[in-house]
Amino acid sequence: MPLISYREALNQAMTEEMERDDRVFIMGEEVAQYDGAYKVSQGMLKKFGARRVIDTPISEEGFAGIGIGAAMAGLRPVIEFMTFSFSLVAIDQIVNNAANMRYMSGGQFAVPIVFRGSSGMAGCLAATHSHRLEAWYAHIPGLTVMMPATPADAKGMLKSAIRSDDPVIFMEHEVLYPERGEVPAGEHLVPIGKADIKRPGSDVTLITYSRSLKTTLAAATQLADEGISAEVIDLRTIRPLDLDTLLHSIIKTHRAVIIEEDWPYCGVGAGIADRVTQRVFDELDAPIRRVATKDAPVPYNRALEDSMLPSVPRIVAAVHDVVYR
Amino acid sequence: MPTEVTMPKLSPTMESGVIAQWLVKVGDTIKEGDVLADIETDKATMQMKSYDDGIIVHIDHPAGDEVALGQRVMVLAKKGEDPKQVAAGLGLGGGQAAAPSKAGGDEVKPAVAASGSTGATTSGNGQQEQEVAEPPFEAHGDRLKASPLARKMAESSQLDLNRIRGTGPGGRIIRRDIEAYLSGSPVQAPAPVPAATAAETATPPASTPAQAPVIRPATPPAPAAPTAPVARPTAAAVPLAAQRIPHSRMRKTIAQRMLQAKQTAPEIHVTVEIRVDKMVAIREDLNRQLAAENIKLSLGDFVTKAVAIALRRHPGLNASYEPDAIVRHREINIGIAVALDEGLIVPVLHRADTLGLAEIRRQSEALAVAARSKQLTTEQLTGSTFTISNLGMFGIHQFDAILNLPEVGILAVAAAERRPVVEGDKLVPGTVLAVTLTADHRAVDGAMAADFVRTIKRLLEEPAMMLL
Repeated sequence: MPLISYREALNQAMTEEMERDDRVFIMGEEVAQYDGAYKVSQGMLKKFGARRVIDTPISEEGFAGIGIGAAMAGLRPVIEFMTFSFSLVAIDQIVNNAANMRYMSGGQFAVPIVFRGSSGMAGCLAATHSHRLEAWYAHIPGLTVMMPATPADAKGMLKSAIRSDDPVIFMEHEVLYPERGEVPAGEHLVPIGKADIKRPGSDVTLITYSRSLKTTLAAATQLADEGISAEVIDLRTIRPLDLDTLLHSIIKTHRAVIIEEDWPYCGVGAGIADRVTQRVFDELDAPIRRVATKDAPVPYNRALEDSMLPSVPRIVAAVHDVVYR
Repeated sequence: MPTEVTMPKLSPTMESGVIAQWLVKVGDTIKEGDVLADIETDKATMQMKSYDDGIIVHIDHPAGDEVALGQRVMVLAKKGEDPKQVAAGLGLGGGQAAAPSKAGGDEVKPAVAASGSTGATTSGNGQQEQEVAEPPFEAHGDRLKASPLARKMAESSQLDLNRIRGTGPGGRIIRRDIEAYLSGSPVQAPAPVPAATAAETATPPASTPAQAPVIRPATPPAPAAPTAPVARPTAAAVPLAAQRIPHSRMRKTIAQRMLQAKQTAPEIHVTVEIRVDKMVAIREDLNRQLAAENIKLSLGDFVTKAVAIALRRHPGLNASYEPDAIVRHREINIGIAVALDEGLIVPVLHRADTLGLAEIRRQSEALAVAARSKQLTTEQLTGSTFTISNLGMFGIHQFDAILNLPEVGILAVAAAERRPVVEGDKLVPGTVLAVTLTADHRAVDGAMAADFVRTIKRLLEEPAMMLL
């Protein structure tokens, strides 16, 4: 299998889907002439022309709304936010129009749109540009929220997202763009709503997604040295949640730790812990623990920022707690 | 001097009580009359009220503990006393010894293991970074702590969690403690580090279905209905474990009293069949007239009425047998056995001989409702002089009841059946009800017993006689 970057895998996904379906187009700030702020759309203007690769002014609410209108009219837009931190100015369009149009129109309008772009704490972006908004969007009925952690998933998930007939929030992670991995050439689809066991284990279930997968896998390696066998599950889709995969793992391990780059209060892990506890309370040998970003604005200082993130020592400590060692 | 609150006598026969539920916690300020706890006695669940004012500084027993009468259950700091100082004074073990230890029976569990584990403590992982910066949340009392999985494993292996030492944070019983207990080698605390392979790959005992939960995550786990098997094994080879239901207070009481009756009282049984056609007709007639008042008389109500009248005429049956005398009661108080899911209970219809049929119905119904909702008062549970047990609603043809000592008689009432009856020389359809008196022959001789049931038969065959 070809070894390509997460960035190239996303480019492949969009290119293949645009070749496959003329209704698919990409729109956003710097996506065309500049080849994308993070070079995800590299070469696409040249390949598909200005009709399907469209630069916009700095106006997220405007082009999010244009995209929704285009989707209602039958096109399949891919709207790029330079970062999801900027989607906050477009959130009314996303929540009130994209997520609710099918419901409010009594099924007359579908909104097959993908909002994609970078997100997360990527180093020295400071408080306002480091947002992780997965919990915000995953809160909304009507939205699908996907967050790939590997190049192969990035490609397969984005292709599925573009083919979805409902709005998808597709959050990439800025620090993952240069990550390289094996990616199947050509048609490769990862189903929406299916988590992936990235490392099998038997003593504790580690649930994570996006960039925290790397940290979690590193923690699992260290735990293995201590004789603790950790199963690592990559959620991939945040909403709808693949609860079955989680429950199958937890009734085997009886313990779970959730690792997320988001803040703890009302985070994705809180929702997961609740649903797991409701279903398999009697299988738990310990409270579900969460390792999240510290509950404070994200500082500019790199060392301080690093200190807030889920880290291998923090994950290992949480696992020690739940396995009582 | 702090106040020591002890287990009160909440029923005339209780020797100990189980704390069903604490309604207060350490630190609460309480006033005289406040309800402190629900106590399961041998008869019913009763409220334990405070006779004192003060601040709770210590609770001796968690919910679920059985405590002998008079044994201390909590300590109150009085007005003017510093709760902290009082609590500190207790910590040295003097308080426990000072409490009167009038343990009523050998079933009474010892006070919670005095292992020095007082309440919640911080996690044992002091060297680790605390993920949550908040201070530990102090739980009250010495509640037994066990993980949900440990509880499930203990239940399916029929283990008493009280006998297992928890090695988790704050003494929590966790899976490894159950496994260690089952394998006979308790985990060594503190900070045990069992080899991962040993702890995790140890072959679970066959009787531990918890190890292989049959769960289809697409559907919620089946609720463990008390009467249904807990898990449904998929393979036929898996042995089906029997369900073990620890005795409730009520079950213990029933067992003890039934055995006592059979062991001490030489019983005789006399059965009589009663033509109740007239009574059935009168009942229908009365019920039509009482419909507006929403009263529906049952055949049982007529039997109750007849028994009350018969007892007035046969005082030898309204009596108790005591070692040196037979005590004939002036009051005619009829105990009516009520079946509950968890056993049976006998609330009392006081002065039944003074009640009309409608009032018998009203009071019987109120007693049954109170019995089912466990709201019977001590008054409603005591003082019966004769008991009626009615299984007519199950279509029973005839049965014998066991004496409710020290009463000397109990009447077993079967179902009224339509059947062929000889009338003169003819065979006619009729409605027949069989009643059987069980009498204590120490106090009641056969002729007395027979005479009594003959009176009942006459009253029920000619219900107008009851008007006299």
